Amino acid sequence: MARYILKRILTAIPMVLLITVLCFALMHFAPYDAIDAMTTPKMSQETINLIKAKYGYDQPVYVQYVRWLDGIMNGNFGYSIVTKQSIAADLAVRLPNTVKLVLPAFITAYILAVVLGLIAGANKNKKADKIIDAVSSVGIAVPSFWFAMLLIFVLGYKLKLLPIVGMHAVGKESSIADFLKHFIMPFLTLTVSFMPANIKFVRSSTLTQFSEDYVLVQRAFGATKSEIMFKHVCKNVLLPVITRLGMALPLLVTGAIITETVFSWPGVGPYFIKAIQGMDYPIVMIILVLSSTLVILGNLLSDILYCLIDPRIKEMG
Amino acid sequence: MKKNFMKRAGILLAAVMVLGGLTACGGKDPAAEGTTAVSGSSAGAGETTAEAAKTSEGGESTFTYAIAGDPGANVNVITTSDRFGLMTLKMIYSPLYMYNADGINYFLAKSIDTSDDNLSYTMHLRDDVKWSDGEKFTADDVVFTFEAMEKEENAGWAYSQLVYKEGAVKIEKVDDYTVKLTMPFVNSAAVEMFSQIFIMPKHVYENVTNFENNDVNTKPVGTGPYVMSEYSAGSYVKFTKNENYFLGAPSIDNIVYRIIENENTAMTAIQSGEVDAWIGTPAQVAQMNLDSANLTVYPYQEGRVAYMMINAARVQNEDLRKAILYALDKKAIADAALLSSDYYDLPWSFMPPNSKFFTEDVEKYEQNLDKSKEYLAASGVQKPELNLAYSGSDSLQSTSALLVQEQLEKAGFKVTLSGIDSKALSQQMKDKNNTYDMYFGGYIMGIDPDTFSSLFETGAAYNYMYYDQPEINELFAQGRKETDETKRKEIYTNIQKKIQDTACFYPLYSNKRLLVVSKNVSGIDAAKLVPVYTFEDTSKLQKK
Repeated sequence: MARYILKRILTAIPMVLLITVLCFALMHFAPYDAIDAMTTPKMSQETINLIKAKYGYDQPVYVQYVRWLDGIMNGNFGYSIVTKQSIAADLAVRLPNTVKLVLPAFITAYILAVVLGLIAGANKNKKADKIIDAVSSVGIAVPSFWFAMLLIFVLGYKLKLLPIVGMHAVGKESSIADFLKHFIMPFLTLTVSFMPANIKFVRSSTLTQFSEDYVLVQRAFGATKSEIMFKHVCKNVLLPVITRLGMALPLLVTGAIITETVFSWPGVGPYFIKAIQGMDYPIVMIILVLSSTLVILGNLLSDILYCLIDPRIKEMG
Repeated sequence: MKKNFMKRAGILLAAVMVLGGLTACGGKDPAAEGTTAVSGSSAGAGETTAEAAKTSEGGESTFTYAIAGDPGANVNVITTSDRFGLMTLKMIYSPLYMYNADGINYFLAKSIDTSDDNLSYTMHLRDDVKWSDGEKFTADDVVFTFEAMEKEENAGWAYSQLVYKEGAVKIEKVDDYTVKLTMPFVNSAAVEMFSQIFIMPKHVYENVTNFENNDVNTKPVGTGPYVMSEYSAGSYVKFTKNENYFLGAPSIDNIVYRIIENENTAMTAIQSGEVDAWIGTPAQVAQMNLDSANLTVYPYQEGRVAYMMINAARVQNEDLRKAILYALDKKAIADAALLSSDYYDLPWSFMPPNSKFFTEDVEKYEQNLDKSKEYLAASGVQKPELNLAYSGSDSLQSTSALLVQEQLEKAGFKVTLSGIDSKALSQQMKDKNNTYDMYFGGYIMGIDPDTFSSLFETGAAYNYMYYDQPEINELFAQGRKETDETKRKEIYTNIQKKIQDTACFYPLYSNKRLLVVSKNVSGIDAAKLVPVYTFEDTSKLQKK
């Protein structure tokens, strides 16, 4: 098994490198460069050349790439073109904020999805199943920004129960009550947006398991419904569900872009969106690399988890 | 039991969804229903956070201004040039003087003497100004700042205003409170070129080599009305008042720039009272019920001119261009795009209407379909077809484009609209061989009319009309050298006429910026609304 894991890790490394090349190349070939974002109509060509030289844009592409990659390796993510801030320092502030929001929401959504999915799957075509299935279908179709605006409108504007903007009221950084007040609406939005797809997944997985022969055998032996459910079906259902956890890793960075933007949550989302609008290429590239690297790591994690949990694969390796 | 729970949960979820659907339909017009919510809240049940924060700080007044982007923690006088960064600078630092459409407003300088040869400008500085750390402000700080701005490697935003191919502006300290700036050549726009440059403290920045990133940017020491007290990345910047501000201590204790990037959220936040001020668009303001939300709108002129340029490289026939312009109704376009005549001024030439050089004594091309048809006949073009490019994501331009299309079709033109990405559009416009006949754009240039030459001289960087008019170039050159005010006015009136006569440039409207402010805030007129910074002097704002 150790060999299998090692093999998987080794194949992941060139993938990550390929991604950095891709991100860099795509950004490089975009029709407008970062210089366009920095210069103003009033600047003379000399000043523009000066700025180009200052940021190293006068160098050949491969030199730019190697310098950039070298920077990333050493934790120097470069500087924002617009605000001149160190990207590493910015992300150090913003990533925890995003994690603080996404992680609880994801865990909640996940637990609820497993419970509801199992209930629906176990009661195929009964009322409970129909309701859960219908609600999750609607949930998949509801865009998160719309649901967020709805919450803002009802809870923030009409009822004035909760603050609309940000993570803290000004000067109340240490108040947990204040944080929770700001937290409720984005948390609800994210939970609602993560849940439906997972419910569908658990439900269909449960349905498949119930149609397996071993369930029929158990029934023939006179096992009760709950015995079949918790002793046998559950385990088999949770297997793919747990491996899905790994895939959720990139969510920690990019899982709440829209929700964060709507609620002005000071996480990665607004930072990323603003960078795209302002053509702040260094930031866009770093976040692209970061999230796609997490996708690869997530897959790796899934594979490893699967390998650890499922004895069949363990023997294969 | 389990079933029962499921049922309840299901019903609850369904209820939420249905309720959601219902309220969303009403949600399109929050203002219409806003009345009860707002008056209900004053009873005290649900206090907004802004109010809560205010009381918790022991009666300190706070003015919260919603801004759409993060200024960052590294704002500095030399390299910061984005709107929110400059707004932050304006709070912390002071310039020698501000130069806006209505003239000079002195801050750290008291007066300017111009030498007889129009090359040297002697600035007399205030001697009663202290930095927020207690040090005295002197001429050394001014010299230090200007010299840093002139250093090529610093890539300062005002570099091109101070360093020319003829040489750099020379800056000398005459005594502790007098500095002399000498231009390398006579330039009537010099006073404007020295304006809006904030002065930084020499004793703080003396050993700094990289202005963009260093340890002192985050703890700024300034001469402005406020001191930056807190910066929370992506959330807000908080300023507390500078009791020693040289124009008198500010009335409001704290000013907060709250970062809200989503327009709809910002719009809800201003209506719920979570923020006190915000910049909106005419369409957004029209959706709000200002009275019930206790808000006032202050439209103010930034000197922006939105235009339609005709590409003379493609539409070479002057009669055809005139036929196009006579078919257009400027006011109808502006009314459709900006909804109310309070929100715009109509420019008749390339100068913004609030400029003292602006003249109406030009060919205005007021709509006249008969004339349009005459010119069309004279041009000899049968069934003219045109295409118009504009930024598809810009709602003002999209509306204007539809109007232009409709008006031109009435005059017998067939117009194809190309709504494209704004960056792609400007890239296309820079290409002389682009495939568009007409395009929309807009600019905010300087106060001095010479700053507009880069748009209209032959081959100038922003002349997207690609015409060749040596006469206009000659006039701009004359205007630059002329120092007599009346003669300059004559020259620029002439230029405005000439440019209108080319029938390549059609000024559409000069749209104002709409500041939406809570009625609890007063002193807006005294603080003066200016381009970029919003308030010229925030110390004059008051809060009830």
